[in-house]
Amino acid sequence: MRKLFIAILLAAVTLGSVCRPVSAQTMSKDEKRRLILKGAKLWPVYCNQCHNPRPPGEKAPYEWDQEIMHMRMLGNMPADNARALVEYLKAR
Amino acid sequence: MSRPRFRQTFTVLAILLGLAIAPVCRAADSTDAPTLSEIQRELKQLAQDRAREAREFREERKRDRQQIQVLEIKVQQLEQKGTKVQATTQQLENTDKKLQATTLELEQTNVQVKTLTAKVAAPIPAPEFASDFGRYLGSHTFQITGAAGLDFVYDQQSGALDGFHHATQNSFFFNFEPMFLYRPTDWILFEGEFEGSFGQTGTATDIPLADFQITLNDYMTIVLGLFDQPFGDWYENQSPMWVNRFVSAPLPFGVEAVVPPSEIGLQLRGGLQWGELGQDVDYTVWGGNGPNFSEPVPGAALGGPTAIASSQTNGKSIGARVRFYPLPIDSHLGRLELGASTYNGKWMNGNWFNSWGVDFNYFYGNLQTRGEWVQSYRQMGGGLPQDSRQGWYLQAGYFLNGINLPGLPDEVNNYIHRLEPLVRYSGVNQHAVAFEDIKGATGIGVGGLQVGLIPDFGLSGSPALFAPHSREVALGLDYWVAPSIVWQNEFDLELPRAGGVFVSNLGVSTAAGSIPNDHAFLTQFTVGF
Ligand code: HEC
Repeated sequence: MRKLFIAILLAAVTLGSVCRPVSAQTMSKDEKRRLILKGAKLWPVYCNQCHNPRPPGEKAPYEWDQEIMHMRMLGNMPADNARALVEYLKAR
Repeated sequence: MSRPRFRQTFTVLAILLGLAIAPVCRAADSTDAPTLSEIQRELKQLAQDRAREAREFREERKRDRQQIQVLEIKVQQLEQKGTKVQATTQQLENTDKKLQATTLELEQTNVQVKTLTAKVAAPIPAPEFASDFGRYLGSHTFQITGAAGLDFVYDQQSGALDGFHHATQNSFFFNFEPMFLYRPTDWILFEGEFEGSFGQTGTATDIPLADFQITLNDYMTIVLGLFDQPFGDWYENQSPMWVNRFVSAPLPFGVEAVVPPSEIGLQLRGGLQWGELGQDVDYTVWGGNGPNFSEPVPGAALGGPTAIASSQTNGKSIGARVRFYPLPIDSHLGRLELGASTYNGKWMNGNWFNSWGVDFNYFYGNLQTRGEWVQSYRQMGGGLPQDSRQGWYLQAGYFLNGINLPGLPDEVNNYIHRLEPLVRYSGVNQHAVAFEDIKGATGIGVGGLQVGLIPDFGLSGSPALFAPHSREVALGLDYWVAPSIVWQNEFDLELPRAGGVFVSNLGVSTAAGSIPNDHAFLTQFTVGF
């Protein structure tokens, strides 16, 4: 059981390192618009699940990058939704 | 030739001429010729003149010498001055060269400044501004988050618990837990938390969290280090002071924790959307150092599982957690989460500790509800029967921000909008409880409660919490200043059920007799950063 676990973990890590995440910097205007609208829909639902939703104005945009990375890990949020939340929170 | 010498020569010549002419004249006219005495007088006069002239000449020479000396001194001085002047001239020349160079540089700088001014004056395109600002901020980001809180506990203890002394408690506690977040790239995040608790009887410190979060891709994140147990919702997501709606922890995650609160090891986790927006599923699998218990001696090993910091086991552990969200956001039916967790590990290098749990949370408008059920089985040494435990809690809260009481002024209604009344029922069942834990329950720093600091802060200390079958009803009223700033009030009714045994550290068991019901009031002001 433990060996299986380790094997799965190793396989996953190898696979994971091969397909690295795409950077959000090369984003078109339409894509950004789509993400902000999606983020606005997700924020009151996702961010209310563990604690009161923290409003966009609380943190600087660069802090939201870091914050949502942290929250994405805790909530295991789908990647596109996490990106949408970052864009929404940074856009204010 | 100087004048006195000329005069002297002239005088001598005149005398000689006179002497030559005189006999001739005498021969020609002896009657007109001067007499000898006249000539002698003239000669005397001439001699006197010569002596005077010689004297004058000497004096003049003396003056000349003096003048020459003076002039020599002046020349010397002038010569000295000349060398100085030369040096100064050299210096001046050097300075001149430098000045020339500086002027050149200044001219160049001037040109540069002009170019820069022109650049600055020109409107900066947005991406360029962003990159400039990005450079200003740097690519590494660092933040301090966390929380702090002051808590006051009043616990009126109505009776002894099986002969144990305990006193009514009336104490302030302060808790400060800064969390450091550091992100060197967009796929690595480090989080570390420090916790300091201050109470009536002492202080305590802990490092409950320190881990790296490495995003591998859209579906996988690795967590390495010391992390909250990803078992159920409480440890990982509900335990921070400002996140927990109550001051105290629900019973299965308090003094009689059913599963260990943290782990050193690694996790692999991620999530995806399986249906419409909001319909997600996610997983976490982990491996770590495994559980330990506050009383590692077989027979007395009945305390709660300890945090990994004092782990002595070599048994290791593995676990998994899955969460499922069935409702799409657009259905407007609210948000429902269903979760399940497992934990399998060895303690004391050979005995099994197995646990599983299920949890849910549901939100609809201003209503929020949560609940968890946890079950654990522990193989005991020394031929003792298996130790099984169950714990659960069910909690509901309703935010009054939509409620306007008629007839009340707006100001009053605005206060009411910030209120959230809450209720929670929790319980733990276990066969036996170690006396040690009860003794340690009177405050921070005494006895060292077995599950880190979590129960020390926000713990009423009521002995009824340590009963083998503890039950608690907690009523809460929170006043929310901001989403992470809250004044919380909690009234606890301890309603333990009799049954089970108390075990002393010598291994002597006594059946738990009647356990008094107890009340406690806890109030806390807390800020999440
Ligand atoms: C799965 C539970 C969960 C979800 C979902 C969640 N948070 Fe959090 N959040 C936490 C916990 C737990 C903390 C406390 C820090 C800790 O323990 O790591 C926290 C802390 C924070 C903090 C304080 C800073 C920090 O990192 O500690 C901010 C800001 C925050 N969350 C914002 C958000 C936003 C915005 C969202 C929505 C995208 C969100 N959270 C969704 C669990 C969650």
